[in-house]
Amino acid sequence: MPYHEFECSKVIPERKEHAVDKEPGEDLTSCLPKGYLNTIPGSISERGCAYCGAKHVIGTPMKDVLHVSHGPVGCTYDTWQTKRYISDADNFQLKYTFATDVKEKHIVFGAEKMLKENIHQAFDAFPEIKRMTIYQTCATALIGDDIGAIADEVMEERPDVDIFVCNSPGFAGPSQSGGHHKINIAWVNQKVGTFEPEITSDYVINYVGEYNIQGDQEVMQDFFRRMGIQVLSTFTGNGTYDELRGMHRAHLNVLECARSAEYICNELRVRYGIPRLDIDGFGFEALGNSLRKIGLFFGIEDRAQAIIDEETAKWKPQLDWYKERLQGKRVCLWPGGSKLWHWAHAIEAEMGVKVVSLYTKFGHQGDMEKGIARCSEGTLAIDDPNELESLEAMELLKPHVIFTGKRPGEVAKKVGVPYLNAHAYHNGPYKGFEGWVRFARDIYNAIYSPIHQLSELDISKDEIPGNHGFVTRRMLSDADLSDEIRNAPHLSEYDGKFDCLAALKDKTYPEFPRRVAAAE
Amino acid sequence: MDDLTQDRIGQLIDYIMKNCLWQFHSRAWDRTRQNENIVGMTTKILCGEPVEAETPFDKCYWVDAVCLADAYRARHPWLTEMNADGIKTLMTGLLERLEYLTVTGSLNAELTDQHY
Ligand code: SF4
Repeated sequence: MPYHEFECSKVIPERKEHAVDKEPGEDLTSCLPKGYLNTIPGSISERGCAYCGAKHVIGTPMKDVLHVSHGPVGCTYDTWQTKRYISDADNFQLKYTFATDVKEKHIVFGAEKMLKENIHQAFDAFPEIKRMTIYQTCATALIGDDIGAIADEVMEERPDVDIFVCNSPGFAGPSQSGGHHKINIAWVNQKVGTFEPEITSDYVINYVGEYNIQGDQEVMQDFFRRMGIQVLSTFTGNGTYDELRGMHRAHLNVLECARSAEYICNELRVRYGIPRLDIDGFGFEALGNSLRKIGLFFGIEDRAQAIIDEETAKWKPQLDWYKERLQGKRVCLWPGGSKLWHWAHAIEAEMGVKVVSLYTKFGHQGDMEKGIARCSEGTLAIDDPNELESLEAMELLKPHVIFTGKRPGEVAKKVGVPYLNAHAYHNGPYKGFEGWVRFARDIYNAIYSPIHQLSELDISKDEIPGNHGFVTRRMLSDADLSDEIRNAPHLSEYDGKFDCLAALKDKTYPEFPRRVAAAE
Repeated sequence: MDDLTQDRIGQLIDYIMKNCLWQFHSRAWDRTRQNENIVGMTTKILCGEPVEAETPFDKCYWVDAVCLADAYRARHPWLTEMNADGIKTLMTGLLERLEYLTVTGSLNAELTDQHY
């Protein structure tokens, strides 16, 4: 096994099996790091906890719900300012966050009574909202608070409300991924099949593992609507609670982030006979193939092809403008879980960059299999890296940019490496054809921003050049381009709007006649 | 297996690995089911034989097979010059290799977990 041993981790020998170099001739049977194991003591992980994975990643994107953490208020840290799963419900789920604010006295005397009061208070404060999710945390799990029993009492007292309880305290798994698993299974056990949705199309899908980061879901939903497909539910970005209770009525589960949501797809397959189709919303070719497959499934591939042709004609010249300027730029692809495989090949093929390293914080070996299969030779693949390893990798690989979360991203900035937010994006959405161009533009802006040259100067010792003006991105990016490419008339910079979602809000969609006999 | 066949299987596998996701379902039994059905249907399509895809599950395999066959034809002109027997032999070798990479030789410790 081509393990990669970090100098900084020699004192933690177990770490060696968590990083590999994909060398020539290696394949998945000889080159795969360990994954989804408890973080090794002494290695300071960048992972989130299982409660975070359940609530902050998967539960809270539901837009018409009071989301309550039962625990100390500190557990709700990752709410207001770190998440960007917007919704078309005026971002209710981002604006309001609820916690029972458990204190030491509750640990001694119990917090169930206080939880019940909090639930009533929340429903009273928002009388138009009738749905709630409640999440267990470490402290309340350890004292044995029975959230389910309290929720049942409240539902008896308030027959018009419905409450979902997620028992995934922080310690319920090695990382946030444990929480993804728990909430998937809890939702299918408790809620799927308890609501009968209205079916309005012959073609009905659940869009699963999609969290509407900066509007991704709205972009993809636009394609589906243009094809006459009913998105019965989205698990869970921009999704509603009751739609997700009706998932059992879909004809197809279209799965985007398998890491966070393959469990519910697998269960829906076994319990309700709904097949699972894995798709990629990122990248022209992958997205085009995905739309085409969904079209083929329903016998409406011509509708998919029309979208692919229209969007490609519009956006490909802009993507290629960036591709010419990003050739060979070294990228560390360091996201949380699924983007290491969603992006690894697509950014090399369609943007011309070179992925020199990929890592996953909470991914499983299955994610690394996909990532290593898709990246090219010479890539360093790391599972659950610690901060020192990330710094050592940057020192070794000298990336032009890294795609990661905001916490490791700030560390990278300090050593002069620009970063893009792989979880919440910079100027997303990144899904869809236009979104992919927006991503390319963000990469371009990150790499060529003149601020990096200035920021790397140390005013205490470096000579500060005062004899020339400020350079622009374009001056830096075009310096080595041939005239032919620099002035190519068919290529142009991104010209979309700052808010590319606004046009979707009042859009009308074609009506496709239904096949009468098929009316479920 | 001769060098040419091995080289061609390598090219076909490389496309699957870089562009597809269906071979990486969660568990060993899922992967074998996916591999056999999708590669089986792709073989039939490439040989010009009819494919039965009546159930929703079969349709799901079929859509991946159609896209794979199209990609193969577009990328590998030599495929269109092969006869049906040649294609079947090649695709049998491809399925064996894919099963090895994703199931029997896989280092993924989760593949045999009995629960999803
Ligand atoms: S690990 Fe426990 S205490 Fe910490 S945020 Fe997660 S649930 Fe809260």
